[in-house]
Amino acid sequence: MGVVSQAAAAPRVKELTRPPTSLWADAWRRLLRNKAAVLGLVIIVLILLVAIFADDSVVAVFTGRDPQPLLAPRHFAKQSLENNNAIPYWLTHVFPTLKPVGVEGGYAKINDTYILGADYNGRDLLSRIIYGTRVSIAVAIVGPLVSLVVGVSVGIVAGYAGGRTDNLIMRFVDIMYGFPDLLFIILLMALFRSTTSAAEAGTLRAVLTGVDNAMGGMFFIFVGIGVTAWMSMSRLTRGQILSLKQKEFIEAARAVGARDGRIIWRHIVPNILGPIVVAQTLNIPQYISTEAFLSFIGLGVQRPTPSWGSMIADGASAIRTYPNQAIFPALALAAVMFAFNFLGDGLRDALDPRLKGTD
Amino acid sequence: MFSRNIVLTVLGLLVAVSLIAAPVSAAPPVKGNNQIDFENLPPKETLFSALFGAGDIPTLDPSLAEDTTSIQMGLELFVGLTRLNEETAEVEPGMATEWKISDDGLVYTFTLRKGIPWVRFDRSTGEVVVVEDEQGNPRYVTAHDFVYGVKRTLDPKTGSNYAYVNWIIKNAQAVNGGSELGDQDPLYGKVDEIGVRAVDDYTIEYTLAQPAAFFPGIASMWINWAQPRWLIEEKGEKWIEAENIQSYGPYALGDWTHDVSATLVANPHWPGTEAVPKPSIKYIHFTMLDESPSFANYEAGLADVSGVPLTEMDRVKADPVLSKELSIAPELCSYYYGFNVTKPPFDDVNVRKAFSWAVNRQAIVENVTKGGQEPARWFSRPGLTAAPDPAKDDFGPPVAGDPAKAKEFLAASKYGSADKLPEITLMVNQVEAHVKIAEAIQQMWQEALGVKVNLVTQEWKVYLDTLDSDPPQVWRLGWCYDYPDADNFARGVFRSDSGNNHTRWKNAKFDQLVDQAAIETDLDKRRALYVEAEKILVEEDAAIIPIYWYTRVQVTKPYVTRTYSIGGHEHYEKWKINK
Repeated sequence: MGVVSQAAAAPRVKELTRPPTSLWADAWRRLLRNKAAVLGLVIIVLILLVAIFADDSVVAVFTGRDPQPLLAPRHFAKQSLENNNAIPYWLTHVFPTLKPVGVEGGYAKINDTYILGADYNGRDLLSRIIYGTRVSIAVAIVGPLVSLVVGVSVGIVAGYAGGRTDNLIMRFVDIMYGFPDLLFIILLMALFRSTTSAAEAGTLRAVLTGVDNAMGGMFFIFVGIGVTAWMSMSRLTRGQILSLKQKEFIEAARAVGARDGRIIWRHIVPNILGPIVVAQTLNIPQYISTEAFLSFIGLGVQRPTPSWGSMIADGASAIRTYPNQAIFPALALAAVMFAFNFLGDGLRDALDPRLKGTD
Repeated sequence: MFSRNIVLTVLGLLVAVSLIAAPVSAAPPVKGNNQIDFENLPPKETLFSALFGAGDIPTLDPSLAEDTTSIQMGLELFVGLTRLNEETAEVEPGMATEWKISDDGLVYTFTLRKGIPWVRFDRSTGEVVVVEDEQGNPRYVTAHDFVYGVKRTLDPKTGSNYAYVNWIIKNAQAVNGGSELGDQDPLYGKVDEIGVRAVDDYTIEYTLAQPAAFFPGIASMWINWAQPRWLIEEKGEKWIEAENIQSYGPYALGDWTHDVSATLVANPHWPGTEAVPKPSIKYIHFTMLDESPSFANYEAGLADVSGVPLTEMDRVKADPVLSKELSIAPELCSYYYGFNVTKPPFDDVNVRKAFSWAVNRQAIVENVTKGGQEPARWFSRPGLTAAPDPAKDDFGPPVAGDPAKAKEFLAASKYGSADKLPEITLMVNQVEAHVKIAEAIQQMWQEALGVKVNLVTQEWKVYLDTLDSDPPQVWRLGWCYDYPDADNFARGVFRSDSGNNHTRWKNAKFDQLVDQAAIETDLDKRRALYVEAEKILVEEDAAIIPIYWYTRVQVTKPYVTRTYSIGGHEHYEKWKINK
């Protein structure tokens, strides 16, 4: 028995040894093993590339000319009224009710140059979906950015300072939680949008409206999401810090004379980053759907800038006649929402310290 | 009046949703034996009309009504001294059995029909009952009620936007505050000085400021209907609510759930006349939904009559069943974009011209609206008495637009080029069709002129308020005839003192021409005057962009026998259901 146990022990020790890895490298490896998460990541990267290269504005910014469509077959606002509601022939196989002109009861104009069809003003659906990624991606970036910067700093201050400061800040957060966010955004839009004509030059309203117009109507969506998105992040951060700051390694850092700033940045933030990243990734679909919802009810981006939400709204009114106009943007929206959810889910598993080292 | 097809608004929708939700959470109303459940009306006796559009009825007050929805309701609740035939636009007797005109054309004497009672809908019994006075006698409609209505409309305290139509009556302009002295005029507010009086209980005498051949048409209008003085003095502005309102027309108001629906109940006390028969359909139920849901209801059998959304036109025209239920016919209405000429850059006539010439009207009616509309080059709808005729007259912006010319106009303006223009906002009321047309025109401006225009939408009621208080740079409106004469279009809307002129554009020559045309009797001379006036409006000054002349595009179930109105509102008392 002794011999046997010795012989088995040596290789086991070897097996358990592996090159040292950081938390992040480890998480990355685990993430790559999760197929759904990888799929999500691939979709997100693709959409990101599509958003960037929808037209050549990357180049055009430097040369100073108007951007030309690059990935998109046409510009999103390019209309060809005589091709209104045109569909490519292949769609008649997908939707049996969509009968081409010439067939009994047929009404759809066939034009194969529109790969997914054209909308009511003869604008290419595919191009509009491609340009529409820009709005969704912008929201997916700005939402987390605001909530990271504002939410995390508020959370850190509250959690680290503790006592009365903590109490004051968190009560403020509680109050903000009671804020009806959607109603707030709608009111914001109603105030700035529908009364633009009354804004006098030089007033704050005129300035904000100008900014909003320059951004194609995305500014107030950002404001709306920004105002409401940081609160849950600040609660999460505070909770994490409260549990961390009692830990021995923080006490040790303090004992050797580290200042607060150093403790926060070198010891606390790296330790709470995992849960924050996971929470953010899982929040992104919510930001995207908020934007889509606002555009759906007509308070989102300004026409003719395409957003998937407004495209679905326009398509919904024609759903029995031209189902393609609602279904394709809806599919695009669904794909991105799934991608972010899968990725967030994978990240949560990958960053869970309890799963560290497991296969 | 302003025409809207179908209105959808976010706020309206939200309110609607909350209203639908409200009765569910509250205790359900107990329905007595005779009480009517307005949500489940008997289909054989009810016409479900989806012609209203989303958004509430702006008002039921005849003195304040100015839009097609309000007037549609009013036309069933009240009857004017005269009534316009909805299919021919001819003047027919309404509450007046006959009328006489003095030799100088200035005094009109109307004889009133006798024995028509004021009625109201009694919620507790579910019946339309006769209104009684303090002594318990039935109240009949008298000449005094009509005179009160006219005076109330013209009283500056009422604030009627339509009062100016009545300025044709002696002293009315000064009383209403429309004279040069405004509220300093010695007659200002003195409604008893207006040239209208009750000779006896059943005779009304109008004295006009100048002869006007179209006055019998004006006498049919809501601003001249009889109004219940006792009720208005007691309830104030709440008199139009369903629980208060009293009326005398073929229908009474049964229910008005704001932003959701309204129901008319046939008035059994209306005796029926040749022009305004006793109604055959007992209930008329209006739902306030946008065109797409309305049409979906129609297809699902939940509505008997509906408009057709633009996106469904292709399918409806091709569908073997729907194509038979579809009716398309000219409607005496015009669709146009107006400029606020006091706001830059549209204070420059060349910019206005550039925007007008850049619009391809032909492409819009062929590919966007698709309802057989005619591209418009001027405002007065051809078919109206004395209106310019496209077969004879050739002026105004070209039908297919002229981008090259538009560029020239822009270059000739004080701005010179598109990038020097200030920010421009185009506002339309929130209706699918209007937004789609606006998007097409927005892109035409972008392509022809390189101008980026912001598109803003508002709910109908709010939108009308915006146009009254602070019109945006460019805005959309339609105009339907009140009386079928070019006077109602050219002078009625764009004379400098008209309450419906939201352009803030004033032109003395135009005013003089339309005033002259109003009193001119020779038809050819009148037409020539309107041509000259319209040239100023759409060409020289380009205060508006005429876009198209309406057609009525509706689907009706085959079991409904109906009349087809050419003027934006229906006379439901002539309809029948054959189920």
